[in-house]
Amino acid sequence: MTQPTIVEIRNLQKSYDQKLVLQGIDLQITAGQIIGYIGPNGAGKSTTVKILCGLITDFQGEVTIFGKDLRRQTVEIKQQVGYIPENAALYESLTPLEFMEFVGEMRGLGTDQTRRKAEALMGIFEMKPHLNQRIATFSKGMRQKVLICSALLHNPDLIFMDEPLSGLDANSVIMVKEMLIHLAREGKTIFYSSHLMDVVEKISDRIILIDQGRVIADGSFDELNKLSQDENLEKMFTRLTGNTDHSQKAEAFIHAFEK
Amino acid sequence: MIRFILSLFIPFKWFIEKMGADYQQFIRILNLKLTLDDRRVSKFSRRKENGQGKMMVRQSIFQIFIGALFGMFIILIKSPFTFYYMAHTLVMVMMAMMIISEFTTILFDTSENAIIQPLPIKGNTVSLARNAHVFIYLSLMAFNLSVITLIIAFFRFGIFSGLIFIFTIFLNVLFTLFFANILYLCIMRLASGERLKNLLMYFQIAIAVFFMAAYQIGLKMIDRSVITDMVLPVNWYTYLFPPAFFSGLTEALTLFIFDPPHLKFIAEALIVPPVAIYITGKYLTPVFNRKLMELEQGDRVSKIKTESVRESLWYRLMAAIFVSKQDEKAAFKLMWKMTGRERQFKQTLLPSVGYVIIMIIAPNISHKFSLSDLASGDKYIFVLYIFMFISAGLSSSLLIGNNSSASWIFKALPSSSPAGFFKGCIKAAFARFFIPLYLIIAMVVCTFWGIRVLPDVLIALLCIYLFSLLLYYFQQPGFPFTLEKTAIQGGSNTTKIFGLIILTVIVAFLHKFLLHWFDFASIILIPLYIGAIYYVNRIMVYRKISWQEVDQVNNYS
Repeated sequence: MTQPTIVEIRNLQKSYDQKLVLQGIDLQITAGQIIGYIGPNGAGKSTTVKILCGLITDFQGEVTIFGKDLRRQTVEIKQQVGYIPENAALYESLTPLEFMEFVGEMRGLGTDQTRRKAEALMGIFEMKPHLNQRIATFSKGMRQKVLICSALLHNPDLIFMDEPLSGLDANSVIMVKEMLIHLAREGKTIFYSSHLMDVVEKISDRIILIDQGRVIADGSFDELNKLSQDENLEKMFTRLTGNTDHSQKAEAFIHAFEK
Repeated sequence: MIRFILSLFIPFKWFIEKMGADYQQFIRILNLKLTLDDRRVSKFSRRKENGQGKMMVRQSIFQIFIGALFGMFIILIKSPFTFYYMAHTLVMVMMAMMIISEFTTILFDTSENAIIQPLPIKGNTVSLARNAHVFIYLSLMAFNLSVITLIIAFFRFGIFSGLIFIFTIFLNVLFTLFFANILYLCIMRLASGERLKNLLMYFQIAIAVFFMAAYQIGLKMIDRSVITDMVLPVNWYTYLFPPAFFSGLTEALTLFIFDPPHLKFIAEALIVPPVAIYITGKYLTPVFNRKLMELEQGDRVSKIKTESVRESLWYRLMAAIFVSKQDEKAAFKLMWKMTGRERQFKQTLLPSVGYVIIMIIAPNISHKFSLSDLASGDKYIFVLYIFMFISAGLSSSLLIGNNSSASWIFKALPSSSPAGFFKGCIKAAFARFFIPLYLIIAMVVCTFWGIRVLPDVLIALLCIYLFSLLLYYFQQPGFPFTLEKTAIQGGSNTTKIFGLIILTVIVAFLHKFLLHWFDFASIILIPLYIGAIYYVNRIMVYRKISWQEVDQVNNYS
């Protein structure tokens, strides 16, 4: 059975001070997929995610999510979307429970319902004892767990993740990977932007590689592998982004010390 | 500008090295600090990007204006000693007051530690660079405050006298720096970790209020009829006041008087500040830095506090009165918690509470004061409306904080207009901080003037609430605690405060006029204010605060 299209992007462009960061992205994303969105630093990954989540509003091109126009029906789209930002700051004087209560209530959930969900989600990450402690006392990984739980509070149909594993310990990384696979099986769509090739390779149904604001490869790992004959995603990534001279660069780095 | 400032340290290379610092590293660190300062405003406010550096000019204009107001007061003083004594006192008092809140970002600033700490730099170099940075900051402030006084001095006492005054301003700054270090070190001995941070905050507030009280009450004590001939008597204790050292030196060189008292002042002025700065650099600052690092680590080592999830009866009562819509309720709850915890918010707002209390008490300090006279008049109108200044502080204090990167959450949530959130914020701050204070003053007023003034208490409350809303909605629409203090200071804010003073006087006089017209005539103001509040909260705020406006100020990255 053909899955419905959840996200449709046509000629998406974005520039910062006349520098074109996204140079015309075209994508169609169907329900229940995990999309691995990869690219080198400055390729435009976070910008794409921020546009799709409604954080950046001045862009060119057409974006529809759940059949709704992103420019005109932003609020309706945000109601069905969860967003986990990369290295995002949180109000440090709040506790995770207070922060999640605010997020839940702004999303129309009741206080009791939000508390129950927050306790359940934080419990999965073994964070329940920290629910009423100020975020100021948390490590980077603990903060990331708060962000993940907050993004999933309202059971969104589409989840945007920008480097969600940043700062997490090994057990939490495995847990999040499993969680993503389960969410996709339940019909959720996951847009996963990351630098971690091995994670993207393992969990993604479809991999989109962007470089300098353009899509340069799009397909499942097997499809891309058939075309490129690269043994893993990392090799494919380095070849397609034109950075094959890593060993020469490493050698130059060592020489730089000697000078 | 930075290059010019750095070049001023070249003649002091020997001194810097004598203090145990590496001169080249010292200059590099200072350059880094000044560069970070220069870019601080634009980092947090996209609107300011095109006007980098303009904020410093605006701040300077504000300080020059304060100095000018004072200059008008002392212009008539004939005695150079008294004139310069007053000028130096102003510089010291204003520096103390202004740096109180800035010290957290200047003296306690550790933002560049991540860059500096891993590098092989001696502690003395870092300490000295930190002091030099604060010295530059204070010197600029002191010079701005004194520029009008200096012009007056040039005309009144001659160019040479004015030049000596400039020299003594720098000596004054050196002494103030020493004094601040001593004070903060004393405080740091009392506590550590989170307790110390709170203690420092309350200490800073107390100092600001103390200086304001000393200034107001001091002014009140002076008999203005003899201001032109005012001469400060020199007693044994005069030699203990730093402004006396500097004014004594300036007078001695202006009038060429070298009698024993003047020689003592000259010796004090030339010996005390250099010795003080030597002690500061060599002994105090290294201890200060060590304490500062302990303070930074305090969060990790002190016991982690668990917050209560219980909602107080006062909170529930206020929420029931003030908010009804879901987004407003969520914002109200969030802000209620945060305003009780954010140190910078309390540090900015609480001094204004102290100032208001002083402004109520100071005019009544007189030998002729009598309670019966007070109760028979209508001075309570002044007492009630003076609280308007707290509401002015409230709206701007809600913006100041270090959470610029945390505002993404508001944009990520499904809200068609940010207005509801902003409404919840100001209402929470008003209900949590203003209403309890106002209730206390209302009880005091009703005790002195009788229950008959209760309608007037209500009218003033409605009026102040209306003004609080207007001030908050008409300032930069920044999310709570996301802007640096420098980003909201200066031109428009100053204009707004002066506008508010004028408006306060107008509405207070209108109220007073209605009181004298016929009994309870002022009651007509109640529906008027309620109508205005309704219009502002239901219609105007949605027109004024849109995502388009909010996106201009906030950074969601």
